[in-house]
Amino acid sequence: MTLFTRNLLISLGLTIAIIGTIAFAVNYLNSARIADLSTIEDQISIDTLSLDTQFSLLEATPCDNATSSVTLISSLGDLGNRLSIAESQLGTNNQQVIRLKEQYSLLEIRDYLITKQIATACGTKPATVLYFYSNAGDCADCDKAGYALSYLRSTYPTLRVYSFDYNLNLGALKTFIAILKVENAFPAFVINGKHSYGFTSVADLEKQFPKGALATSTSS
Amino acid sequence: MGVETLTYPFLFIAIFFESFLLVTFLSKPARASRAKSIAPTAPNVAVIVPVWNEETTLAGTIDSLLALDYPAEKLSIILVNDGSTDATPAVIDRFAHHPQITALHKENGGKFSAMNLGVEHARGAELIGFLDADSFVAPDSLREIVAAFDASRVAAVTASMAVHEPQTFMQRMQYAEYTLAITLRHVLASLNGLYVTPGPFSFYRRSVLAELGPFKHAHLAEDMEMAMRLQRAGYAIGNAIRARVYTKSPPTLPKLVKQRVRWTTGFLRNILFDYRDLIGIRKNAVLGMFVLPLALITIGGGIFIFMFSMTQILFEGLHTLSIVQAAPLSYAFVWRPFSWYDVPATAPELLGVALLVVTLGWMVVGKRLSRIPGKLAPNLLAYLAFYWIVAPLWLIRSVSDVARGARTTWR
Repeated sequence: MTLFTRNLLISLGLTIAIIGTIAFAVNYLNSARIADLSTIEDQISIDTLSLDTQFSLLEATPCDNATSSVTLISSLGDLGNRLSIAESQLGTNNQQVIRLKEQYSLLEIRDYLITKQIATACGTKPATVLYFYSNAGDCADCDKAGYALSYLRSTYPTLRVYSFDYNLNLGALKTFIAILKVENAFPAFVINGKHSYGFTSVADLEKQFPKGALATSTSS
Repeated sequence: MGVETLTYPFLFIAIFFESFLLVTFLSKPARASRAKSIAPTAPNVAVIVPVWNEETTLAGTIDSLLALDYPAEKLSIILVNDGSTDATPAVIDRFAHHPQITALHKENGGKFSAMNLGVEHARGAELIGFLDADSFVAPDSLREIVAAFDASRVAAVTASMAVHEPQTFMQRMQYAEYTLAITLRHVLASLNGLYVTPGPFSFYRRSVLAELGPFKHAHLAEDMEMAMRLQRAGYAIGNAIRARVYTKSPPTLPKLVKQRVRWTTGFLRNILFDYRDLIGIRKNAVLGMFVLPLALITIGGGIFIFMFSMTQILFEGLHTLSIVQAAPLSYAFVWRPFSWYDVPATAPELLGVALLVVTLGWMVVGKRLSRIPGKLAPNLLAYLAFYWIVAPLWLIRSVSDVARGARTTWR
């Protein structure tokens, strides 16, 4: 065997080893992401239980200043962001991502309902946005709308944003959409009960909130 | 299958090539080449300097040759003025009376014709070298070169080129690039895989030049053509890694592209039109079945990866820009805590990073082994910032010129 042939064979072995190591590293990182998803799953379970408990407690307690200012789930936005990253990294068809999105959507619906119930009981008018997007390639402005809502959420801490994948195959979500009469046009918003479709600018979005509904700091 | 899948073959080839470099670098011939000590003997040597309009650098070039650590009676310097129109003739005449120097003036006929005239006047020399008039040699370079002519099969020896006093970003980028080329040349020469004997300080056995005939126009790449001729004739081309020669490199992008288009079109035209038989040649499998096919793949792959990357950057950039515009600009710069969770890590990206790290490693090796002066780190930054953008420019232009049959000019 010539030196050249010997070197070629060793190089081939080395190349396979390097590519194998990199494939292992990519797989490891994806496993770490999936492990992180399990953490999110646990967080959602705890938040769901917490929400149920709060719901029971609030039913038995007359409305007062303390209950009206209760923060239901502070980590809702953070969970949503991490789910969004997981979705972009692992793909929209990843089964674990889809399951988590379903759980997250359920949590959001429950949070929305209890927020509404407290508002009715206490006569408050919290600012809420129900945002419906689509990943089916029929929403050119959904990325912009999602970014604008992130900005609004960070600017107005009292604002509660609930994001839903319109096409998620989840019974509760479908019923929620049917009751709200949200049309199949994206991005779709339900801002304090009023429907609007399409995204133009963050300023236009802000105008749709009732005057004084957006506060730049949380009440203490 | 996404377009990015097409990058996988190129990434595989690149990793394979880097692995081959490493294995060959550690093999016996390369180790032996690095271990060579300075030649105790001093055969008669002639250094020919073909000159065309190099009034600003020529004196420095000649001074560096006269300062070579080599017996004066064994070293002759032949200056050939190829019809210069500036003050070059006057500079040459200033040195004409030096006992080691022969000054020749001729009508402009191209670099190869000046080299041939010099060879005609180098009658007593056993080894004949060439030095471009914008290059300067280190004092011990010639002894290193002579040491590399240790086997009769070695018909030519190349030096380690470095960029002379880099000033501009383009020159700094080239400084890093040249250090990589030093390693490549050293490793490939150990298996006789070179296809170019560059103008700055390459040497030939006089007997071989006499056998193979004079230099040719060769699509303005006479150094490549002669190297290919040597390879076709079954000779070996060696390398003396510590023979340092510093060359003035193009300071601006247009001048750099012009130079590289000349080199690349010269390579393509020589290998595709005149020396196609070298591709796949079994007599020298390293060159024919590895180096030359890879050189051609690199040109095609470089263009493809560049086009692919630019398309990705353009689309992703425009998309991000349109999203960022949805909220006040200040929100885009809000500090967000770093998390490894957010770092995108796909196989092509990690392979790309691995390739980059290995390439930078080879540059460090090239600089240390050749002992060229200067700091690599700041020049590496220029390389990382610009090379991936500018190199495809001359590759695309060269392929286009060759395909269209466009004429290439020297300057």
